[in-house]
Amino acid sequence: MYRAVKISKGSGGFGGPLVIKPEPGKDKILSVTGGGISPVAEKIAEMTGATAVDGFKTSIPDGEVLLAVVDCGGTARCGVYPKKGIYTVNLTPVGQSGPLAKYITEDIYVSGVTEKTLAYADDKEALPTKQEVRATIDAAKKAKAQEPEKKGNIVERIGKGAGKVVGIFYAAGRETIDSVIKNILPFMAFVAMLIGIILKSGIGDFIAKTIAPYSGSLPGLLAISVIAALPVLSPLLGPGAVIAQVVGVLIGVEIGKGNIPPQYALPALFAIDPQVGCDFIPVGLSLGEAEPETVEVGVPAILFSRLITGPISVIIAYLFSFGLYR
Amino acid sequence: MEFLAKAAEWFIGLFQEGGNTFMGLVTGILPTLIVLITFVNAIIKLVGEDKVQKVATIATKNIVTRYTILPLLSVFFLTNPMCYTFGKFVDEKYKPAFYDAAVSFVHPITGLFPHANASELFVYLGVAEGLKQQGLPLGPIAVRYFIVGLIVIFLRGVTTEIITAKMMDKRVVSKNS
Repeated sequence: MYRAVKISKGSGGFGGPLVIKPEPGKDKILSVTGGGISPVAEKIAEMTGATAVDGFKTSIPDGEVLLAVVDCGGTARCGVYPKKGIYTVNLTPVGQSGPLAKYITEDIYVSGVTEKTLAYADDKEALPTKQEVRATIDAAKKAKAQEPEKKGNIVERIGKGAGKVVGIFYAAGRETIDSVIKNILPFMAFVAMLIGIILKSGIGDFIAKTIAPYSGSLPGLLAISVIAALPVLSPLLGPGAVIAQVVGVLIGVEIGKGNIPPQYALPALFAIDPQVGCDFIPVGLSLGEAEPETVEVGVPAILFSRLITGPISVIIAYLFSFGLYR
Repeated sequence: MEFLAKAAEWFIGLFQEGGNTFMGLVTGILPTLIVLITFVNAIIKLVGEDKVQKVATIATKNIVTRYTILPLLSVFFLTNPMCYTFGKFVDEKYKPAFYDAAVSFVHPITGLFPHANASELFVYLGVAEGLKQQGLPLGPIAVRYFIVGLIVIFLRGVTTEIITAKMMDKRVVSKNS
């Protein structure tokens, strides 16, 4: 017995409310959150009568997914499912951000959701599944596109061609500024605050005495890479590369102060990054149209591979750092 | 009273320093970054995805290009996170390895081509800022980061391909028994 459930945004959240109701053949709640099925996904499944599935362990065809539950800090995952036309619940309160921000709209996405923001709803309120809506829009677009274009005379064609190129450059500029505002500037603000506090408060000295010595030697960097590559930790360290970026900034500050020799910058870049994308494996594979069985094998295969290639990458980078800045 | 004033001064000092850093980032990095990203975005649009896809299908054929050229093309032209859609061009058994290679390249590429992963620039930029303060040029590190990145993703692709194959065999055996 399926029931409709209304999902509203939590404090600081964006989008929604979404009213969803499972149907036979479209009754999976996909939980793409590190560390097992999230309690929110579990609760939604229990209330609606759908089945919660751990996106890291099993994979299911997009057509069966009623709703995706993610915990994305605003980079990739929060946009991937809306782009596919799948209702998306983000546990982290982020709005339209990341490279796929334009797909994140109020009618398909809701964020900052907790178990408290769920409620039963009237069946009549249930929204049609988004893929159907998108399909009709696509069909309408196609019909429009099929109208043949008239070929003009040569002057007209040159004019059109030039206009097209200029249009492309202009669109590229607009895209860039969008990206600067949505992706780059917010992180710069965060980094600037972090650096200010580190430099002025004395935390910097503490870091210099405790962590910097490790990142200024090969064994220390290897140790960092092994820890970051541990299959238990790597999916948790991954999201948005926020941790890698913060550590990158910390190392940069220490290099700037002269506590870490500059030639260690190269191996350090690899030492702080063996977990890259480990939080994103099921999503990345499904973007590549992988079969569910492949995802099930692929997640542990990649996590295990990182344990080997993480430290090796540091050694290669170390060898390549000879002759750098001497 | 004096203590309070000192405390307030110290507190505001934290953010003045942060403000200076922000100013430095915005005036020092952003202008070039914006123009560079605009240029590359325009190139990508002019080339068009169809042509890239043609080259990509050729690159899937052998093990070396599959984990170097293919991820490079996909990350450069489609950028993070849409680059992983190029996984559709490789065989099922290579998909995890391709993903592993592609995702491992989204940071090494940012030294030279920041458009590819604009929301995760500070893995590289954070470290690069330190080098800048030491008065060192960033060219050498950006180029080496890129080259070592290519070597690492190749190794990663091969390693993951082997592990995936072993695990798939095991599954077949356990299913049949």
